[in-house]
Amino acid sequence: MANQVKKYGFVIDPRRCIDCRACLVACRAENNVPLNYTRNWVYDQGVQGDFPNLTQQFVPYNCMHCDEPPCVEACPSQATYKRKEDGIVVIDQEACIGCGLCLEACPYHVRYLNPQTGKADKCNACLQRIQQGEMPACVATCVGGSRLFGDLNDPNSEVSQALASAKSIKRLPAVGVDTGPNIYYINEPVDEKKLAVTEPKMPPADVFYQKIVIPGILAAVGAMFLGQAVAFAKQLRKGESEFEE
Amino acid sequence: MTEIVQLSRRSFLKLSGATMLAAGLASTGVKVALAQESGLTYDKIVPTMCEQCVWRCGVLAKVKDGKVVKLDGNPRHPHSNGKLCARGQSGIMTTYDPDRITTPLIRVGARGEGRFRRASWDEALDLVAQNMLDIKQKYGAEAMIFSATHNLSQPLFENLLYAFGSPNYGTQRSLCFNAMVVAHLMTYGIEEPGRNYQTAKYIIYTGRNMLEAISTSESSDLMGAISRGAHVVVLDPRFTKTASKAEWLPIKPGTDLAFHLALLNVIISNKLYNVEFVEKNTIGFDELAQSIGTYTPDWASALTGIDANTIERIARDFAAAGPDAMAHPGWRTSNFVNSFQTERAIAILNALVGNWERGLIDSGGEDGGMQLGNPSQPPYPRITAQRLDGVPWKYPLVPLKIGVFQEIRDSVLAGKPYQAHGWFIARQNPIDSLPDRTKTIEAFGKLDFIVTLSIIPNDTEWYADVILPESSYLERYDPLNVVDNRIFLRQPVIDPIGESKSALWIYKQLGEKLGLGDYFQYRDEVDYLNQQLAPLGITIDAFAERGCWSPTLASRQTGERSSCFVPQEISVEEYVEVPFELKEYKFSTPSGKIEFASETLRKSKQPAVPTWIEPPAPEAGKFYLLTGKVGQHTQFATQNNLWLHQVYPENELWLNPKAAVERGIANGDLVKVTSDAGSVKIIVKVTEGIRPDCVWMSQGFGKISMGLKTAYGMGASDSDLHVTFTDPVSGGQALSQTFVTVEKA
Repeated sequence: MANQVKKYGFVIDPRRCIDCRACLVACRAENNVPLNYTRNWVYDQGVQGDFPNLTQQFVPYNCMHCDEPPCVEACPSQATYKRKEDGIVVIDQEACIGCGLCLEACPYHVRYLNPQTGKADKCNACLQRIQQGEMPACVATCVGGSRLFGDLNDPNSEVSQALASAKSIKRLPAVGVDTGPNIYYINEPVDEKKLAVTEPKMPPADVFYQKIVIPGILAAVGAMFLGQAVAFAKQLRKGESEFEE
Repeated sequence: MTEIVQLSRRSFLKLSGATMLAAGLASTGVKVALAQESGLTYDKIVPTMCEQCVWRCGVLAKVKDGKVVKLDGNPRHPHSNGKLCARGQSGIMTTYDPDRITTPLIRVGARGEGRFRRASWDEALDLVAQNMLDIKQKYGAEAMIFSATHNLSQPLFENLLYAFGSPNYGTQRSLCFNAMVVAHLMTYGIEEPGRNYQTAKYIIYTGRNMLEAISTSESSDLMGAISRGAHVVVLDPRFTKTASKAEWLPIKPGTDLAFHLALLNVIISNKLYNVEFVEKNTIGFDELAQSIGTYTPDWASALTGIDANTIERIARDFAAAGPDAMAHPGWRTSNFVNSFQTERAIAILNALVGNWERGLIDSGGEDGGMQLGNPSQPPYPRITAQRLDGVPWKYPLVPLKIGVFQEIRDSVLAGKPYQAHGWFIARQNPIDSLPDRTKTIEAFGKLDFIVTLSIIPNDTEWYADVILPESSYLERYDPLNVVDNRIFLRQPVIDPIGESKSALWIYKQLGEKLGLGDYFQYRDEVDYLNQQLAPLGITIDAFAERGCWSPTLASRQTGERSSCFVPQEISVEEYVEVPFELKEYKFSTPSGKIEFASETLRKSKQPAVPTWIEPPAPEAGKFYLLTGKVGQHTQFATQNNLWLHQVYPENELWLNPKAAVERGIANGDLVKVTSDAGSVKIIVKVTEGIRPDCVWMSQGFGKISMGLKTAYGMGASDSDLHVTFTDPVSGGQALSQTFVTVEKA
């Protein structure tokens, strides 16, 4: 049934963000994010105004899990995909070839190449937690209560309720194209110009090349590599046991 | 055969540490990726308690393959309510710090050279006991100083020092909240009232930076109150993150007292106070009313730089909110010589609106009113020696267990009233925390023997003779903690790293070597805990699953509905309308009432009612040096934590653009800051968010221990600049009475 399909999204109230960065550390711990990389941010827009009439806004930020994600379109190995059952954009780590095209394509710059795996990485809404009935790590630990997460298709969810009673709702469209981002900033205007949102930078738009040739080459290369890798692994294991003996 | 551990092999160890760590994480990383399909990323969850600061949040620790992989806030613990702050989330890296001390260490080089050799526990403790006994024999037990930052193993630490026979007990409290504690003892007869935000409609913070000096539940509660529409006033010379969510009043440093005296003036002279509450529950109102006549908003405006109309408005609105108004008592209130008077004025302001047991509550102290057992022990020996910190002979109003820490250091330097020879330092960092680091290092030089108990080689360990490695909080048991009629347990989540041990174990072993075994009558940690629980008829097995026990749980067969299971339901979006009942209370003051005028103070030749005291101010061309916390670090302890380093690597000096332009300083410049105590170099942050007559920096950076391979060389130390100045009433160190020059380095 159509109404059983979930649409997960984030609702963020910047007024309640205290820039404590618990979300950054929680995400690092939960997802083994290597040092000097991160899957989420709190943008500090700096002190605005002249002493003593000042304001300051903190804007939590991570993958927008777009309705039409440019990263999925850019991915030549179809490693990046949007889950049909709940809309979360994930990366199949086995299928990712580490080409980095998705990093360029993302107008929100939320992806990085993990130096430990050589694969692309980004927020997956803590799939491993939500499958256990827990909130994503950043949301669960949010001290100010700024970050909310849930099913936007369920009118009774916390996120839907928060949207229903919000003073204002703002999404941050990419430059030149609305990819349908699924972070909703509520109750206070957020200036996307300060958040380094750009236009998606897509790989050469030759559909034939992109959809047919590259996957073909990949399949061939993959098969060859797999065969070699299996042989190599076997040898390695053998070598190791010999060494141990 | 001795293995020399040179803590300063910086580049090599930094590299290898980081590599080891990366390898460790990479292996778990692959497993997590694979486990994403199955959904489970851990083998078990162990409930325990955080120790990244003193708030003690409940923690659910997830363990995979014998490693702690994630810490979540325990939804059943009232201090966490399911959340942990950045520091709490980083507890894993406190345990897995590549610089952890894993065996006892004995110094082999000169003090401060960083050369130690590994030793067995037996050898290290024998050496410690021998040195302590030698000092006792030659100079008396009082020549040994004992100091520790307050923690759950404190009763055993106190056994060690009092059984040994020394009166010299140092805590960190005079560097923190003495003014608040002594003022509330004098006014309410309790050290620190609890705060309740459920009905709060008007809140005044006096320098309390609630959203950066984070106590998880209280910081969350404040955000809840703000989103419900509570009006919040922040008095702070700096535009803190708390100020950014509130009405910010950039008050002139040291004049908070004038602001609060003017509030008292407006509320009393316009009869806006809760007459019935004041009549029933307070004494000394008339004397107070007569004394505040000159403290008008105009008078306060000239001192504070805050508009008189604003002061008048805040007084009226605060009073109008009645019992739903709260003037927060503050925390680190050691700022100026008049901080004690400021705290008295705040305490009285709360009583005037009658918010007792509404905004302010009696939080019941450490044991939460529950009677726990203790191993039996003989009485302490009689101690007749004077205390080095001047309590009570110089500071009669300061409680013995709180003390005046900075005075101990100065007495070591002066050799008066007698010369101390040894210092036992547990889980504390006086080299960084005491004002004037140069003086503290000099004082260390006058001691024959220094032993410390620590997890990492922090700055104080750098100058120690013996370092005893304590297990991190994720690896050990501690004595029990009672919160809201529930008992919480800190229990090991994983096995201790290396040879590290719990404080319970270390104090017992050392006690036995000192011939004081009778004061440590427990077999091991579990036996100690079971003796604590004996009066309740349970053992720690009752804690296995939830890390918590409550009488309600025991009385109900089902257990499922007990308070250990169900988090307190607090409505986030709506006010809880609780009818307010006026009651008569018995306060633990000499009069049994809230004391507006205090006879105790009068007898000590102090003003009986809050009285204006002019604080010192910087001469032309100098700034107030203000210091304080950021939300990512705890005092002097966490700067080496790799994950916290990622979110706050080093401190900067905040400087107003006006002052910067005058000195030709640009944002990001390296500047030299100089006080009467010393000088540091630090990167400057030019910002409108601070008064032009102030500069501000966070504490705890500028480490000198090269054993801290992440924190070493990052930022500058405020302790290098702080001048020692003690408030004669509360014994608090006046941390904001240091004045500095700033120039381009």
